[in-house]
Amino acid sequence: MSAAAVLEATPTSARTPRGLIHTVLRLHRGALWIWLAFVTATAGFLLWLLGPGADTAQRALESYGYSGLIMANGSADEYSSLFYYPDTLITLASFAVALFAGGPLIARELESGTAQLAWTQSVSPARWLTAKLAVPAAFIVLGTTLLTVLYHQLWAAHSDLLIAGIGPRSLYFSLGPATVAAPLLGLALGALIGLTARRTLPALAFSGFAYFLVYAFRGNHWPFQGRYQQPELSSRSRAFTSAGTEIRDPGCYDDKACLAQHDVVRFTREYLPSSDYWPRQLLETGVLLALTAVAVALAFGLLRRRAATG
Amino acid sequence: MSSTSSTPAVAMEASGLGKRYGRRAAALDGCSFRLPTGRISALVGPNGAGKSTLLAIAAGLLHPTAGTLTVLGGAPGEARDRVAYLAQNKPLYPQLTIAETLRMGAELNPARWDAARAARIVEQGDLDPKSRIRGLSGGQRTRVALALALGKRPDLMLLDEPMADLDPLARHELMGTLMADAAERGTTVLMSSHIVAELADACDHLLLLGGGRVRLGGGIDDLLAAHTLVTGRGTPADLAAHTVIESRTAGRGLTALIRRDGPVGEGWATEEPSLEELLLAHLRAPEAPALLTPGTTAPEAVTA
Repeated sequence: MSAAAVLEATPTSARTPRGLIHTVLRLHRGALWIWLAFVTATAGFLLWLLGPGADTAQRALESYGYSGLIMANGSADEYSSLFYYPDTLITLASFAVALFAGGPLIARELESGTAQLAWTQSVSPARWLTAKLAVPAAFIVLGTTLLTVLYHQLWAAHSDLLIAGIGPRSLYFSLGPATVAAPLLGLALGALIGLTARRTLPALAFSGFAYFLVYAFRGNHWPFQGRYQQPELSSRSRAFTSAGTEIRDPGCYDDKACLAQHDVVRFTREYLPSSDYWPRQLLETGVLLALTAVAVALAFGLLRRRAATG
Repeated sequence: MSSTSSTPAVAMEASGLGKRYGRRAAALDGCSFRLPTGRISALVGPNGAGKSTLLAIAAGLLHPTAGTLTVLGGAPGEARDRVAYLAQNKPLYPQLTIAETLRMGAELNPARWDAARAARIVEQGDLDPKSRIRGLSGGQRTRVALALALGKRPDLMLLDEPMADLDPLARHELMGTLMADAAERGTTVLMSSHIVAELADACDHLLLLGGGRVRLGGGIDDLLAAHTLVTGRGTPADLAAHTVIESRTAGRGLTALIRRDGPVGEGWATEEPSLEELLLAHLRAPEAPALLTPGTTAPEAVTA
């Protein structure tokens, strides 16, 4: 309490942004609760996939090998599609971040004049924008980092249960620091568009479109990205006899007699790590963060031109 | 800052101030004036005269496109903690309650916030602090916005049509609160309004904007004393020695508002005009020469 009093007594209490942060949190607590609910629900889902959710598919793999996964009896192949849901949710959330930044965070305030209300308290427009970006950015980084780490755990534990195709490949190469950087770019682009459009509806539309471009970039949907398409991701399947010897998959599918004949008791499978992973992740993260920095710099420049600084 | 005893301290000083929105006609154009500290000044002018633009520039929300404006000795926006601004549409966060809005005022003005004063203004309006801004009437919103503005204990208040959506009783009461507060603390107030009666009671200083510049500026008493309402049987030519703002024929005679230059001749009945008569005459005669009393003249404007 006394510390706060001391801070309040200094004439340049502009240095203590605590009040401003509280205000930003209170103004956007609806969005904050939605974000926390999203992170909690997605983390819970990832934990379920990591634990009990994988049991059926795991048994199918162990008993019948890869054939067990694709034969679609029971929920073995269902697991493979559920595995990508968190990725879809994170993508949707990143879209939502861009829309939120463009609409409620910035443009709605400029449109209704509440931004100007804040600027005529003891808060300069630059400090206002700093808080408006820093507070959501902190939640975005914490939330998506948690989800990405969990997702990585899930990949390490159960990527062997994924049905081969473009799915495992694109998930493997897209998951990492870039998963955290992408919504940050969404936040910065939304803020820049909000400041430019200054009206909620156009800002929402343009922010959505801008994030779609980011999404397309991340999904390698650009013609010029031909050379940077995601490389192949190899997997290795093995079958073991009761003596513990590794043999070729005999191709028995779910024929138990056939499996007994070949004396196969256990199957394993794994995706091999790719040496392309880190170069690609770091390059993508670097591009996303550089674009974020450019968007933030442009946003501050625009704000400075528009409103008197101080 | 370095004001001597002969010249009163200056709260606001504009020199050649101009603001143009895109290619439209300039909202402010060569606007020069000086507002002494501690005055309660009425900012008057026809619609589109640049009143809101001037207040927004002073609040540090807009950049002027020409000229300079000094607010409390610095550039606009340098002393945000000492300036309160009430925008015409009284923006407030609709999702917050009144109590949360005042808490925001405390958090965003940590050095100056007076919680008791802000709470008192809200209480006087019988408002429940727990009700949301979204559900308030226009007048109730104005009261909360005013509580926010007064709670930061400003040295300069910029009010853009503060009482426009209030019923007469609430207007009278809030105006009283505002004026008592300003008088007690010596706050300088610049307040735009269309309601002349409200201004005549509350203000002691006037800035009349027209065509983007100040047409009349100074203490209201000085301005009224500088003008005379004459009635008589003469012709406009008889008044040629004075500056005639507006003249009308009334029956066989003539009624005119003039700025006296020497004594008025025989046969004229003279009286001091009311503020309303002064304002109306100047609003009807946009081509009348500008008049700024010495304390209100910006240094640059003297030589112009």
